Amino acid sequence: MGRYAIRRLLQLVPVVLGTTFIINYMVWQLPGDPFAGRCGQRPCPDAYVTAMREQFGLDQPILVQYWNFLKNLLTGNLGVDFNNVSVASQLADAWPITIRLALMAVAFEAIIGIGAGVLSGLKRGGFADNVVTISTLFLLSLPIFVTGYVLQWVLGVQVGVIEPTVSEEARVSELVVPALVLASLNMAFTARLTRTSIVENLRADYVRTAVAKGLTNRRVVGIHLLRNSLIPVLTFLGTEVGNMMSGAIITEGIFNIHGIGGLMWRAINGQDYTIVVPVATLLVLVYLITNLLVDLLYGVLDPRIRYE
Amino acid sequence: MRVTKGAKIAAGTALLALGVAACGGGGGSSSGGENPRAATGTVYIRGCEPQTGFVPGNINETCGGTINGFVYDRLVKYNSDTAAPELNEAESIETTDNKVWTIKLKPGLKWTDGTPVTAKNYVDAWNYTAYGPNAQLGSFWFADIKGFDKVNKPDPDGPDGPKEAPKPETDKLEGLEIIDDLTFKVTLTAPEAVFRTKLGYTTFAPLPEAFFKDPKAFAEKPITNGPFKFVQWDHNSQIIVEANPDYTGPVKPKVKRIVYKMYKDDNAAYADLVANNLDFTELIPPSALAGDKWKTDLGDRAIEGQQGVIQTITFPLYDKVYGGNADFRKAVSYAIDRKTITEKIFNKGRTPIDGWVSPIVEGFKDGACGDLCTYNPVKAKEYLAKAKAEGYTPPAEFPIWSNADGTHKDWIEATVNSINQVFGPDAGFKFVHKDMPTFAELRDTITQHKIKGAFRTGWQMDYPHIENFLNPLYRTGASSNDGLYSNKALDEKLHEADTATDPAQANALYQEAEAMLQQDMPAIPLWSYGLQAGTSKWVTGVKVTPFGELDPLSIAIK
Repeated sequence: MGRYAIRRLLQLVPVVLGTTFIINYMVWQLPGDPFAGRCGQRPCPDAYVTAMREQFGLDQPILVQYWNFLKNLLTGNLGVDFNNVSVASQLADAWPITIRLALMAVAFEAIIGIGAGVLSGLKRGGFADNVVTISTLFLLSLPIFVTGYVLQWVLGVQVGVIEPTVSEEARVSELVVPALVLASLNMAFTARLTRTSIVENLRADYVRTAVAKGLTNRRVVGIHLLRNSLIPVLTFLGTEVGNMMSGAIITEGIFNIHGIGGLMWRAINGQDYTIVVPVATLLVLVYLITNLLVDLLYGVLDPRIRYE
Repeated sequence: MRVTKGAKIAAGTALLALGVAACGGGGGSSSGGENPRAATGTVYIRGCEPQTGFVPGNINETCGGTINGFVYDRLVKYNSDTAAPELNEAESIETTDNKVWTIKLKPGLKWTDGTPVTAKNYVDAWNYTAYGPNAQLGSFWFADIKGFDKVNKPDPDGPDGPKEAPKPETDKLEGLEIIDDLTFKVTLTAPEAVFRTKLGYTTFAPLPEAFFKDPKAFAEKPITNGPFKFVQWDHNSQIIVEANPDYTGPVKPKVKRIVYKMYKDDNAAYADLVANNLDFTELIPPSALAGDKWKTDLGDRAIEGQQGVIQTITFPLYDKVYGGNADFRKAVSYAIDRKTITEKIFNKGRTPIDGWVSPIVEGFKDGACGDLCTYNPVKAKEYLAKAKAEGYTPPAEFPIWSNADGTHKDWIEATVNSINQVFGPDAGFKFVHKDMPTFAELRDTITQHKIKGAFRTGWQMDYPHIENFLNPLYRTGASSNDGLYSNKALDEKLHEADTATDPAQANALYQEAEAMLQQDMPAIPLWSYGLQAGTSKWVTGVKVTPFGELDPLSIAIK
């Protein structure tokens, strides 16, 4: 497994190089001068535009710019953005909040989603199954911004049990409702996925054998059934983590959470490639690493899978 | 509501800051009787992340501009009710010919580091901003001061060209002269009646000695001279300012601390306002404006008024196809039903204008447009026929461009429909709305004069004077003359107005110049922006400036 992991890690290098180059290239290709919209209806002074282009190396050819970017990335120097604020410090402010929110959301997805899925899968056609099916259908049909605004308005403004927005510190207690909103859609997916998987595996030979051996119900479900049924769910949750690390622009906007999503959104609008490129690069890394972890976890869950 | 003179602006604009009823409308999470703001003396207002650090000469957007106005005092400030310029740090601003100005500062003014505010602080700051290699966004504001061409050299082939701008021969403006500690003299290249009014603009603030030692660090945590001092800036999240205990101005801050809380989404700020977690926002989201929901939500915590921003549609006059001719542009103007659009799309949040100038500024005169800005389908068709008879054939599809990252889609589509309905299906052409993805791309295309169609233009005043709506927009070669309009007679009239020594006469000349825009209609005036703001139930006395920002000296805790 160690060799497999190392091989996979080495594969990351060309992938990261390729994606970062594409990201750099695409940002370069964006129409419009990033400094054209900075002075409203007036054109910016020539001296300002020249100075900014020089400071950020925009007057260099793309390959030179890419080389500088790589050099800076490897030395950990992310520089400043177009507003002359340190990119690293902005990331350091935003990322922990995003990670906290993402982990909470994934935890909700896993606990509630898998729980509901197991419950409905075991008692197929029963009352619990119907409740889960209907409520997941309901959640699936609601876009996130509807869930978000409704919960904010009802709980925050009308009833007043939560604050409508999250404070600067983004404490765990404040993030519960945003995390639930963020998780709502995929919680339903997880529940349905678990249910199907459980229903399918209930009929499998190894479950029948386990039951015939006289194992307790708890052991059959907990050890044999669940371990096998969770493989597809795990894949789904794994990519979810990657997804959520990139920030949840809509949820962050509704609850005014100062995470990566908002930072990215502002940077893309302002064509501030000094933020877009490093964040996108880090996201690529997060995706690749979570994918690797998911693959490795397969081996733990399913003894038939061996990595060499 | 239309107003004509400064004196009436107070009533007309009605920037009413209504006191807040103790148990006012809307729900609230903190609905106890105790005022939570009273203990700390802190109020929370809506904010956004500034694009530049706090160097006044380098700020040109409202996110930074708002805080900048809280922490820096200038020679002149604008009255929050009337928009009239009043002396602030200046004890006197004197001139006999509008060309040489002698400015005397009030004694005893202090920076927050304890050093006195001197004439040198002003002169040094202005020299720094004007000096080309410092690349300050506000440099062009000093172009009227004698010697600007020696400190700021234009790039011979623009920023895109390979040539570099030559190094200026000096870094001091010849027209600035320090007389003594508190007095300095400004010499302009030509007389300029409006110079006194201009002095209230951000860029004309002074800078302390400390700035010049480390401009970069200063921009993050400035030493200032205003009613509030700068405390802390947490990027993308909040800026904190505190009342300046040494402030000598006649009106002192009524709160101890203002937290400028940044929101990415106006809806989030609004939810916080309704729940009384936020004490002020000047951006009520469209969802709350629809059906006047915000007035029901906020009750007497709602503030309505006017601000010095107007919306226009500009034509690329350099383009034979999309520039049209004068009669065509007049026909289009006649075909826009401004009243219905402002009522249906903006819920009366905007007011139709019939001139090219915001109704709240000094020198405004009603009706500069004649009847050209009134909806009149009959005349529209008449002028269209005339335009065609003169040999202009409109293209089959005539776009009006906007940027998709703003909220312009609805009104442009309504405008386009209005025009198409008037001209009818047999006109041989139709107007359409088209978007560019970002504001930057739209501006880039416009300033490179490559745009194929008419485009939306808005003008937010820099200072409340009629001159600010004419010179930068319609003078030949002016910085924001996007349509490349050129009219010799208008240029002469504007020059005459600029150099008039009597302010009243200058205003009359500006009004004549404005009326001359009728001939060619280079831009079609649409409406002026209203102001919708709201407060929490914890604060009182809130006033909003004609720039649509909170007057920091007005807000008080109940």
